[in-house]
Amino acid sequence: MVTFTINGKVIESHASEDTPLLWVIRDEIGLKGTKFGCGIGMCGACTVHLDGQATRSCLLPVGAIAGKKITTIEGLNNEHPLQKAWVDEQVPQCGYCQSGQIMQAATLLATNPNPSEDEIANYMNGNYCRCMAYKRIKTAIQRAADESQSVVNIFDPNAQDA
Amino acid sequence: MKKLFQKNSETVNLNRRSFMIGTASAGLVMAFAPAFFSGSLSAKESIAQQAFSPTIWWTMNTEGGVEVSIAKAEMGQHIGTALARIVADELECDWEKVSITYVDTHEKWGYMVTGGSWSVFQSFKPLSQAGAAGRIALIEAGAKMLGVAVDTCHAEKGYIISGDKSVSYTDLVKKGEFNRTFTSEEVATLPLKPANKRHLTGLKQDFKALDIPAKTNGTAVYGIDVEVEGMLYARPVIPPTRFGSKVISVDDTAAKAIKGYKGYEILTDPSNTVEGWVVVLADNYPSAIKAVDVLKVKYKKGNAANVTESDIQKEGIRLCEQTDSGTLFVDEGNIKKTQSDAKELLESMYTTATASHYQLEPLNALAQYKDGNWIIHTGNQWQSLTLPAIAKALEVAQEKVIIRPYYLGGGFGRRLFGDWTVPAALTAKAVGKPVKLVFTRADDSLFDQSRSASVAKMTASFDKNGVFTGLEHAFAAGWPTKAMAPGFLSPGVDGKGKFDAFSASGADHWYSMNSHRARAINNELVQSTFIPGWLRSVGPGWIAWSLESFIDEVAHKQGKDPVAFRLEMLDAKGKQAGKAPESIGGAARLHNVLTKVSEKVANIKLGESEGIGFSASSGQERTMPAWIATAAHVHVNRGNGKITLKKLYIVVDAGLIVHPDGALAQLEGSALWGTSLALHESNTYQNGQVSATNFNTYLPLRMKDVPDMDIEFIQSDEFPVGLGEPGVIGIAPAIGNAVFNAVGVRLRNLPMKPDELKKGLST
Repeated sequence: MVTFTINGKVIESHASEDTPLLWVIRDEIGLKGTKFGCGIGMCGACTVHLDGQATRSCLLPVGAIAGKKITTIEGLNNEHPLQKAWVDEQVPQCGYCQSGQIMQAATLLATNPNPSEDEIANYMNGNYCRCMAYKRIKTAIQRAADESQSVVNIFDPNAQDA
Repeated sequence: MKKLFQKNSETVNLNRRSFMIGTASAGLVMAFAPAFFSGSLSAKESIAQQAFSPTIWWTMNTEGGVEVSIAKAEMGQHIGTALARIVADELECDWEKVSITYVDTHEKWGYMVTGGSWSVFQSFKPLSQAGAAGRIALIEAGAKMLGVAVDTCHAEKGYIISGDKSVSYTDLVKKGEFNRTFTSEEVATLPLKPANKRHLTGLKQDFKALDIPAKTNGTAVYGIDVEVEGMLYARPVIPPTRFGSKVISVDDTAAKAIKGYKGYEILTDPSNTVEGWVVVLADNYPSAIKAVDVLKVKYKKGNAANVTESDIQKEGIRLCEQTDSGTLFVDEGNIKKTQSDAKELLESMYTTATASHYQLEPLNALAQYKDGNWIIHTGNQWQSLTLPAIAKALEVAQEKVIIRPYYLGGGFGRRLFGDWTVPAALTAKAVGKPVKLVFTRADDSLFDQSRSASVAKMTASFDKNGVFTGLEHAFAAGWPTKAMAPGFLSPGVDGKGKFDAFSASGADHWYSMNSHRARAINNELVQSTFIPGWLRSVGPGWIAWSLESFIDEVAHKQGKDPVAFRLEMLDAKGKQAGKAPESIGGAARLHNVLTKVSEKVANIKLGESEGIGFSASSGQERTMPAWIATAAHVHVNRGNGKITLKKLYIVVDAGLIVHPDGALAQLEGSALWGTSLALHESNTYQNGQVSATNFNTYLPLRMKDVPDMDIEFIQSDEFPVGLGEPGVIGIAPAIGNAVFNAVGVRLRNLPMKPDELKKGLST
């Protein structure tokens, strides 16, 4: 049994400790917004935040996260500036990768509120979009950065516990 | 595809059906009466009593809310939004009150397929008529309520207006009596709005897609997200060959040690969709993954167990070298005489490598037996092709199988024929429980319906003055239609043989030539090794690589500018004049976009080792041409052979644009698909299977590789055509032509590889 916090709630997982966190999130906890794409950390569809860091949950054994704080796309509560920018720029096509894209981008803006185009491309290069909506992903990140006026306030449900 | 298209047209040909608009408990209902409906009941009675299972295209409730039924798969093209917009434009309702519902499979929806870039093209007229019929019924009811003559009334944004009097749709639905049947003759003559009266569709419209918000917060439900009570998870064991594998033995000793492991099933498939399949069950998916990894299965392999990419390509070359192989797809003029009269011939061989779909959501299906029906939860593009296979596998009547719609985490053609649903259904039947079968990425890759490798031999003839006199285009590949829907193969133009029009389209181009022959050749080694698939842009996607590259070669041979040479041949004469409504204007419209794109780039200053190349394309087919001209600006690194695509310029004439921002998104995505297939991604068959099975070895374009893009739509009021795929087609040849213009090396193999370019530079 592993205890950790997800989107502000303390959870006990009964999965084997070597179970990738992705499946615990999706099938044990039932949060389906985090997606399975490759299982080897190469596509980014499964990206979540582990203590604020973008992490590929398909490779992370649940046994390794005891006591840690996880945030998934659901944990952004539709309040993150990126989510609004994603709608304003009409980013998603099929949408399957977009939870991962948003979670990855959120950690970029958290540390670099006004990233350059190259910084965005470098940071986002591990997140694959098969519809190839890359142009709009980039524009939406820039838009969220602009609209957040240099400091992005990220909604962190885990912060409520502190 | 002509045949397929005709079949599809029949299913959406409303001229032999009537429309019914009647009041029902939910409000106002607009339905198609099926052809067999006797008509003894009125519209209102029929709808209220549900005398038949109506094909309800839209309903309007007492709040004025309009719900449009969508019988197409949503895979990123925002199709529900576009289709609802078409209805709402004619219905003159308030867009803010429009919602969409994706429907389960049912024969009443007619032929269910989402592909070929057909959705808007095929739905535009019937859905416009469905909206127009509603508007007319509302105007009639409004006139009655206002006590004015019908011809004094018009509809506008949810109101019927006559002079200074008006009544809202909401009031009409609450108080009005609707009992209106439009006969098939009336439907046929329903007037569609002229372009200047359209207020919801067209290039100037700016609105948001209805499916997007759910795709930014994790609430969009894909097939892989579905769960039902009591289900088991399953993972397939992909056999060593697509055909002819037989299971000899299974040893699950090691699997038994895995917590949650629930055994395995060896499948017997009466539909022959899968052969030699073992499916592993567990009470959770990661255990199923682990169990397959340690399962020991012994097989008798099929005949293709040693086939390689090079075998496939060699066979393609052999077939193309034969002078009379294949089926005649185009035969204009007299190519044999043209060639024997020619002073000189120019020959080139082009190839494309195997390409994989890699749609990001791996294949999955949840099969459940419930209340006498088999419910298949999965994202599928071609339900009318998939349902019969599932029914045959389960040995039940097709009416007993229902495919429930979900968002598709990418389709791109892989989710057309739903072969992956068959093992899910068979496993569920075998264990007597709902089964959720999920493929890992590697499983998905190995079971992909790859885009076949292809070979094309081009032969151009020149007279004694060096003037181009004719083109012979012979091209060989695996044919998806032959493998999955052989009833849709088309006869040759000389009545001999059959061919896959989806693997030939594009060779029937819009250039006027004195002699032109196109031979479509099936590479049977592909057919016996794997199921070749339809991949975004299908035949035109690889056929234009040879055609549009070679047109440049022919231009250079004559000392002509490639754009000028194209424009000269785009004379819109004879068969190239086009037909109303879908290809009205013909080659003149391709001439127009090519002229515009060449003007766009005319003043660009090229740096060292840079070039601009052009292409013209008209996918997906002559009966539905999206006129696209592309210019690619590239830089070539002479040291390492690396090609950098700096910018793409694309001018598109696709007629009326129903959803402009959605259309732009499709063009952006398809241009990058074209780029990826041109420069980045390819697969290789080894031992009868693809060798690149995950994103560590299959390497499509990522964000850092994205070029600048300048995409312009032509303002047009002509009939709308499809846009999901055609943007892919012209990218590769435009890049290849640009490379030639930059450094003088002609690349003929796709994807274009630095090594080959370096080799070209050194010779």
